[in-house]
Amino acid sequence: MSLSRSPSPIPGGGWSSPGLDIASSGRSSPAKMTFSGSSNGAVSWESARMKSRGVAGYPSFSTQNQGFFTRHMRRISSSLPSFSVKKDDYTEKDKNRPAQWKIPLIGPLLGRAQAFVAQMSRKWKVRALIALILLACYILFYITPLCYYWRRTSWLGGGQKFVIILAANVGGGVMEWKGAREWAIERDSVRNKRKYVARWGYDLEIVDMSTKKRYAHEWRESWEKVDSIRNSFRKYPKAEWIWWLDLNTFVMEPSYSLQTHIFNNLQKHIYRDINEFNPLNLTHPLKANYLDPESLSPVGDGNPDSVNLMLSQDCAGFNLGSFFVRRSEWTDRLLDIWWDPVSYEQKHMEWEHKEQSSLQQLYTTQPWIRSHTAFLPQRMINSFPTGACNENGNDTRIHYDQNDRDFVVNMAGCEFGRDCWGEMYNFRELSYYLNRNPWERFKEDLVAVIWYKLTGQKVRL
Amino acid sequence: MHYAYPPRKDSHPAPFRPRRSRLPVIRRSHLRTILLFGLAIIGLIWLFSGSKHKGPRPITGKPPVVVVTVFDDKYENTAYSKHIQDNRIQYAEKHGYGTFIAKASDYELSGAPSSWSKVVAMRHAIAKFPDCKYIWYLDQHALIMNPHSRVEEHVMGSQKLEDMMLKDHPIVPPESIIKTFSHLKARDIDIVITQDNDGLATSSMVLRNGEWAKFFLDTWFDPMYRSYNFQKAETHALWHPTILSKLAIVPQRAINAYATADHGAPYKEGDIAIVFAQCSGTGTKSCATEAERYSQHWRSAFGAGH
Repeated sequence: MSLSRSPSPIPGGGWSSPGLDIASSGRSSPAKMTFSGSSNGAVSWESARMKSRGVAGYPSFSTQNQGFFTRHMRRISSSLPSFSVKKDDYTEKDKNRPAQWKIPLIGPLLGRAQAFVAQMSRKWKVRALIALILLACYILFYITPLCYYWRRTSWLGGGQKFVIILAANVGGGVMEWKGAREWAIERDSVRNKRKYVARWGYDLEIVDMSTKKRYAHEWRESWEKVDSIRNSFRKYPKAEWIWWLDLNTFVMEPSYSLQTHIFNNLQKHIYRDINEFNPLNLTHPLKANYLDPESLSPVGDGNPDSVNLMLSQDCAGFNLGSFFVRRSEWTDRLLDIWWDPVSYEQKHMEWEHKEQSSLQQLYTTQPWIRSHTAFLPQRMINSFPTGACNENGNDTRIHYDQNDRDFVVNMAGCEFGRDCWGEMYNFRELSYYLNRNPWERFKEDLVAVIWYKLTGQKVRL
Repeated sequence: MHYAYPPRKDSHPAPFRPRRSRLPVIRRSHLRTILLFGLAIIGLIWLFSGSKHKGPRPITGKPPVVVVTVFDDKYENTAYSKHIQDNRIQYAEKHGYGTFIAKASDYELSGAPSSWSKVVAMRHAIAKFPDCKYIWYLDQHALIMNPHSRVEEHVMGSQKLEDMMLKDHPIVPPESIIKTFSHLKARDIDIVITQDNDGLATSSMVLRNGEWAKFFLDTWFDPMYRSYNFQKAETHALWHPTILSKLAIVPQRAINAYATADHGAPYKEGDIAIVFAQCSGTGTKSCATEAERYSQHWRSAFGAGH
């Protein structure tokens, strides 16, 4: 018989050789086996062990009298002295009895607590109160999700007004197999948005953009974008703004809330006159003799409340990797008309960027779109890594700069000859690095550096 | 009764009266201050969080209706166009409406048929009369026959419109899976249109001024639609739910009665307008002669109305 394991000494002495004797400690078969099968003289030892485990005999399952303290608590606590500060002791002194430790009544807990409070001095009461308040605050804000609900409630933090739609699985399904890197990208991207949303009380909707023959016309898979926006408005009735994010995006600064970053000061951040940055060279405002003054004005009516669509432009024009739409009738109309079959039948061969080109077309030709569309500077919501849009080198309008702590990075076009996962990984690590907490900064920027200076060794703390 | 000794004292006399509660009690005199303070805070929150969302500019309805007509260039300064214009202006004056008469060549159509100018003209009328409530587009080959019919009552009046509108009616008769919605109320309706024997008739339609009207006209006037076959493009546009939910198809005679029964419902006495559908440029069946036959009719009706 060959040994499956080398023999080893067992603590009680002797040698365990698994495969040879079953009464060893390295046994993996159930203990019951030994009851029937052991006939090699070790019965008494084995049965004793079983008994101590509680297998033989009655199962010892009892919740009472388990440990020393529970068994003896009553005795110990009743024998403990309790100090009484009652001032009527002297009456008893009159009776010539020595002052003594009184055995307290084992009354209700509340009564005892009251008695305890009554015994405290004023100073200690105040201290205890402060400590209690601090504890309560800690519990409220960090243990219960009060902070989350505060941020979420529409009339307090207003997080419910924002829904993030994350387009996952783009082109997946029948078109492309998903490899390990694709899974990793998706996992990281989703986790990043989940964290962001959990922090600020927004809602996250992950939509599956895999190519399916869901629509009669096989080219029209980008209809899904429109459909999922519409569905999300329906699903989150309190949502005012929907933020569309492509999968290859990363929220670099999760500490920025959308409200402080953009929406509290919308007028300051947006530009409605496309002439400010006009890579497509569109004529703006439209020149036509039949239009109303609002449509002819370069900024619409100039009121930020009339903005219903906010997007950014990259070097090649509109970019829909990250954009906002507001719930409004205008948006319903846009979503309805976006994939107009009339335009589509005529243009689908020219429009390589599908819905993006379609929107450009709508913006170019239809005045009602212009007066409600605004643009955000690209680096506010949609910074590009250096790999994208780099025909003219680095552009401060387009490319991510860590010194400015850009909000979101969009690895646009990384699937065309660039390394999506590499970029995602780098940006993820960069984001972690930039957003270290003070303790980590202390360890890494101070202690580790000093240690390096002293010993010449790099340490990871 | 009298006892020999005073009653025994309690061996644990209370040193002082115990407090009623451990928390500081709100005094009645403080109550009002606290209330006022709370109200002030709530007021401030309301002030700062109050909805800043302003809707689009309200439309005052002055004038209530604008009658829009676009003439082909060939009719410029002809007796015919004067006749038609006179008809529109008299009708508008009677009810305090505005008129908007345009020329097809006023607008750049980039090669599309001149019938597209009606879309732009309506857009232009909105720009010119931003406060009007309704735009009534009436074809150049049409006369208003009943001076007593007011558009905002006899077409767009909610009871009237709800009675008239055809619900669950195919957009392109006889067979079309696209049908008008059956649950619409009159207040939802932003465009009223008719059908003749060939399908949708755009020779007379009423549009409610507003953001939707701009959207509708802009979409309709999109170059993509213009480069498409007109009839087809129209029905494609109507496919959109945001348009269908604002659209009412009414019986033809409500706004678009035809002079002859060849193409659609014929005109009967009392209908608001008569349209000379597919009249030719010259000959006995020309639009001018057709219109002339009704000239006396409408002039007397308008005169009697005074």
